Amino acid sequence: MTTIRLTVNGQPIEAEVQPRTHLADFLREQQLLTGTNLGCEHGICGACTLEIDGAPARSCITYAIDCEGASIRTIEGFDGDAPMAALRAAFSTEHALQCGYCTPGMLVTARDIVTRLPGAPEARIRKELSGNLCRCTGYAGIVRAIRAVMAQSGTPSGPGLASVRPVAPTAP
Amino acid sequence: MDHDIARARPLSTTGVGASLPRKEDRRFLAGEGEFVGNIKLPGMLHVAFARSAVAHGRVLAIHKPAGFEGAVFTMADLEAGSPPVGPIRVLSSLPGFKPSSQWPLARDKVRQVGEPIAMCVAATRAEAEDIADAVVVDIEDLPAVVDMLQARDAPPALVHEEWGDNIFLETLVEGGLKGDEFEALKGSAAVKVHRRLRTARQSMAPMEGRGVVCTWNTRLDQLEMYTAAQMPHINRAGLSETLGIDQASIRVIAPDVGGGFGYKGILLPEEICLAWLTRHIGRPVKWIEDRREQLIANTNCREHHYDITVYADARGRLLAIDCDSVIDSGAYSSYPFSACLEAAQVGSILPGPYKMEAFRCRTWSVSTNKPPILPYRGVARAGVCFAIETLIDAAALAAGVEPHEARLASLIEPDEMPYDNITRKHFDSGDYPEAIRRAMEAIDLPAWRARQGTPEPDGRLIGVGHAVFCEQAAHGTSVYYGWGIPMVPGHEQCGARMTPDGRLELRIGAQSHGQSLETTLAQVANEILGIDPAHVRLVHGDTGVTPYSTGTWGSRSMVMSGGAVAEACTLMVERVRDIAAHLFQVPLDQVVLAQGRVSDRAGVQSLTLAELAHVWYRQPQRLPPGVNPAGLEVIGGYKARVDTGTFSYACHAVAVAVDPGTGAVELLDYVIVEDAGTLVNPMVVDGQIYGGTAQGIGTALFEEMRYDSQGQPLASTLADYMLPGATEVPAPRIIHMETRSPYTTFGQKGMGEGGAIAPGAAIANAVNDALRPLGAELTELPMSPRRVMAAIAAAGSAAGAVAGRGAA
Amino acid sequence: MKAPAFDFTQAQSVPDAVALLADTARFTKPLAGGQSLGPMLNLRVAFPEHLIGVRQIEALRHAFIDPANGELVLGAAVRHAQIEDGLIPDVTRGLLAHVAANIAYRAVRNRGTVGGSLAHADPAADWVNTMPLLGARIVVAGPDGEREIDARTFMTGPFTTALDEPELLVAVRVPALSDAARWAYVKFCRKPGEFAEAVGGVLIDRPRAVGRLLIGATDGAPVVLEAPTELLAASSTDSQVAEHWTDDRLRAAINAAGIGHDPYVAQLHLTMARRAIVAALA
Repeated sequence: MTTIRLTVNGQPIEAEVQPRTHLADFLREQQLLTGTNLGCEHGICGACTLEIDGAPARSCITYAIDCEGASIRTIEGFDGDAPMAALRAAFSTEHALQCGYCTPGMLVTARDIVTRLPGAPEARIRKELSGNLCRCTGYAGIVRAIRAVMAQSGTPSGPGLASVRPVAPTAP
Repeated sequence: MDHDIARARPLSTTGVGASLPRKEDRRFLAGEGEFVGNIKLPGMLHVAFARSAVAHGRVLAIHKPAGFEGAVFTMADLEAGSPPVGPIRVLSSLPGFKPSSQWPLARDKVRQVGEPIAMCVAATRAEAEDIADAVVVDIEDLPAVVDMLQARDAPPALVHEEWGDNIFLETLVEGGLKGDEFEALKGSAAVKVHRRLRTARQSMAPMEGRGVVCTWNTRLDQLEMYTAAQMPHINRAGLSETLGIDQASIRVIAPDVGGGFGYKGILLPEEICLAWLTRHIGRPVKWIEDRREQLIANTNCREHHYDITVYADARGRLLAIDCDSVIDSGAYSSYPFSACLEAAQVGSILPGPYKMEAFRCRTWSVSTNKPPILPYRGVARAGVCFAIETLIDAAALAAGVEPHEARLASLIEPDEMPYDNITRKHFDSGDYPEAIRRAMEAIDLPAWRARQGTPEPDGRLIGVGHAVFCEQAAHGTSVYYGWGIPMVPGHEQCGARMTPDGRLELRIGAQSHGQSLETTLAQVANEILGIDPAHVRLVHGDTGVTPYSTGTWGSRSMVMSGGAVAEACTLMVERVRDIAAHLFQVPLDQVVLAQGRVSDRAGVQSLTLAELAHVWYRQPQRLPPGVNPAGLEVIGGYKARVDTGTFSYACHAVAVAVDPGTGAVELLDYVIVEDAGTLVNPMVVDGQIYGGTAQGIGTALFEEMRYDSQGQPLASTLADYMLPGATEVPAPRIIHMETRSPYTTFGQKGMGEGGAIAPGAAIANAVNDALRPLGAELTELPMSPRRVMAAIAAAGSAAGAVAGRGAA
Repeated sequence: MKAPAFDFTQAQSVPDAVALLADTARFTKPLAGGQSLGPMLNLRVAFPEHLIGVRQIEALRHAFIDPANGELVLGAAVRHAQIEDGLIPDVTRGLLAHVAANIAYRAVRNRGTVGGSLAHADPAADWVNTMPLLGARIVVAGPDGEREIDARTFMTGPFTTALDEPELLVAVRVPALSDAARWAYVKFCRKPGEFAEAVGGVLIDRPRAVGRLLIGATDGAPVVLEAPTELLAASSTDSQVAEHWTDDRLRAAINAAGIGHDPYVAQLHLTMARRAIVAALA
């Protein structure tokens, strides 16, 4: 067991972890945050996608012990977040979920798309969704919901591409 | 015939016909779904299984790791209990069926890779896996039986030695002309086309696998099992039979379930093991199927082979079908559907919505050293549709007509409905030719034909194709008891209770795992009772509090549970009116219930449902003698007037571009003309069609569970077993027809599976249309790039000559 | 599907990591982004006893242009998404960003690193194919300091490299392309984000006397074909360079790589190589 310190949904956490415990299990089993679902545990399906330091990441192939100092945001941590609120509403309106198992990971990815690529055309939206599998909806409602949120925020899904850029690598 | 009769209904914003947003959504969007993996019980331990590494062998010895003898359990331990745990043994009354004995943990033999051998328990799943890895099993290898045709014709070994062969069941279905008359028809037919076709073994791969949490409730002396299941009452029956304890001592709860598609319609060996374990060690236990177990160890689906000949007249009109079909049923006969359902269904549904003069189909359900198969969304229909629809296209080509013309010449006409086809399937209603006509118009066949006349700038080949099918759903007793399996659908019930504050609780024995029943059944209640759907709560998936049901399978819930909810609510209307009549002191016929209010016809007295319920429960002193003491709790039962099932249908039309340099297939346009009768919630119906079609595209182009010659699965991750993503699935254009079923409550038809049925056939017809200039033809699903390239190479086409023309 | 037990130590510096990796008593491996190693651990196909975290070593997170020669020095822990988003200086006329944008999925690119991918040496991955195409050099640190390995000889086989234990891959030095350079990098995947079944790469940069074609996603190291020097003279044209790569030469290279026996695989590689040529000249 090793002690790690990190932030989960805005709360500083200090916890004992086994090195082999992946981030999703740490959150689900130790922090009782079960909104992050496990679909494959080998990085393909995207069900476990959450935010690490503001960017979507796979929690099943990230080990909690390697998250020292990181800021984690799970599906439980988006209260008051305007893009997520808009996406949640649009997901319901557009029937973008059925069984609900892929939904938390899908929402985190969708939020990344609408904030990072406002105005992205449908083909780009679909490419960005390629790392999140859904077995129920055929993606039709999911794509519609993302486009609807882009339209609401004044950046309708179209040919234009903009980029909100995260942190650059440091210079020496 | 009016296909759009439902549109004549007053448009409801909350009842039947409304695209009401889902009541289920809030919890899932918040990440608050209660999937079995999320359930924790105090003191709970975790289970992992040591599984067979070989496909076929004799178990000589199982060595428990030193120091962990108390944490590892084998079949010997389970059999030593009282009563001993028995095997899963599914009988069928079909003549000649041979049952298999599937021990929850392998006893004498292993018959597939991944078969559970030892159950290991520890404080965490990781530690349980450590123990499982340390279990050593001595196995004497036996030759693996891998290919179904070889298994039938020249078996390298016997999967179940006591049978003498590898055949679960052989069936023969015949209809129309027989004997010499059939032979004469064959001899005189202008068109004869023959193909050998194959569809791959698939994995249903719901996003959530199976999983079990269970404990023994000492207060109730009852097993409580949470399990990701579609048919909890059936699981309870199966647990009772294998564990040797009565059904009242078992409560099965299917919580939120992350997709089913047929994969969760089974009694699992793991469920039996954990049920035994929790009682044996006195602790709650949990097993969550991981993706590797899901892919390699548990059930697959859909491995079909067809040797099929179709006879047609000179304009492509269908005359006869003669078919031999083999289904790879895998190692065991699963509970409750058995190893025979798939193949026997092939024999009876192959004619589909076509008229013909003679039909013969022989089927074999073959046992191999691969996982058992289960009925996946559409069951045998996806394979059958691929077989008949590609043959119709071939016959049309031979006759020199467009494929849709051949279909229009052969389909059941609307004025013939209801229609009993050549295998005595009873079609309730529909206009199949119109679906094809609308699909051809929507896809714009002439435009694609024109485009085919000019080479594409990128060198790709353009094709257009379509397929039509029927989807029998909500099968009733009369068409099911003949299988003689542990489960026969009969009458469906709904328990309805009005709460003291006027809300409505509905209890059904089916289970909703994405189908949206919490919403759609509330719409049914709204339709009958006028109650706000927000005030309706659906309780489902819990044997402890719901009526018996065979569960959610075969697109039956909207017809059966929907019918039962309607019946219960109709009874509730009578109860409400009776109470109101007594309260209002007016004759019963003077009381009306509308829009959630009960009133006298004079309009003098009126109560909301909440006010009436308040009186019933909390002010009984206001009720005069003579009021019905049964109150505001009812059981409504339903069986369709004619219970042979509803027949939804659709025509899928698709245009594709095939890259002759890589074999890649792109879907350029996709049209679905669908008729599911009255649509209870059109948004939900569309969602089912989109989702089913995505799975069908997986069947058509991607999904394939391959095995090597030793029976080792060649896909153990989702990188190897490829599921279609957002870039592989287009946004189909859906066009609805609404021909009511004459037999159901609202004219609704089951429709949950249809989307998955046609894509393999429609896309195959389009791909073959594209490859026709090269003389190449695909006869296997999925149409992977490798198969497309092999077909091109086999046709002797110089693919390399065009390869360089494609864009990067 | 849980990883076997292992120990984990976060390295603070390159020398610290090299020292930790020098522990021969235990099977020790560096862990960078973990996007390849993570699945292997969870699937229990890799059993390291001690993982050394290198993701957070400051010196590995740099990306800068070496003023001495204009080369891009790409720290091993630079993440694919940073390259995709154009956050590093570009000396490749967009090639690195193009490649980065098509690695796996965004959530993987946010975490996966250049160095981790190279050291993992999956033949179907992108950097093991891109860096040889660019003629980059792999910088590795050992107990006795750093050395450089030509990217074209770095990969020695599937999942094997020229790294000696306990060396740590610390950076990639990418030479700057001339303004006249033309490139293409095409790959065939069943789905976006899946591993490539075939990769074709072309770089024609005559001012730097480079004419290179790459056949990647083979069974081992990529095949690199260098155009004859005489074709790279100032008087020649890019098309003349490209014409050198005839179908016969490409097929011979595919056969030499041991992947010619499977007609489908051979055809895919030929198609990708041809399309890379077409795209580079377009």
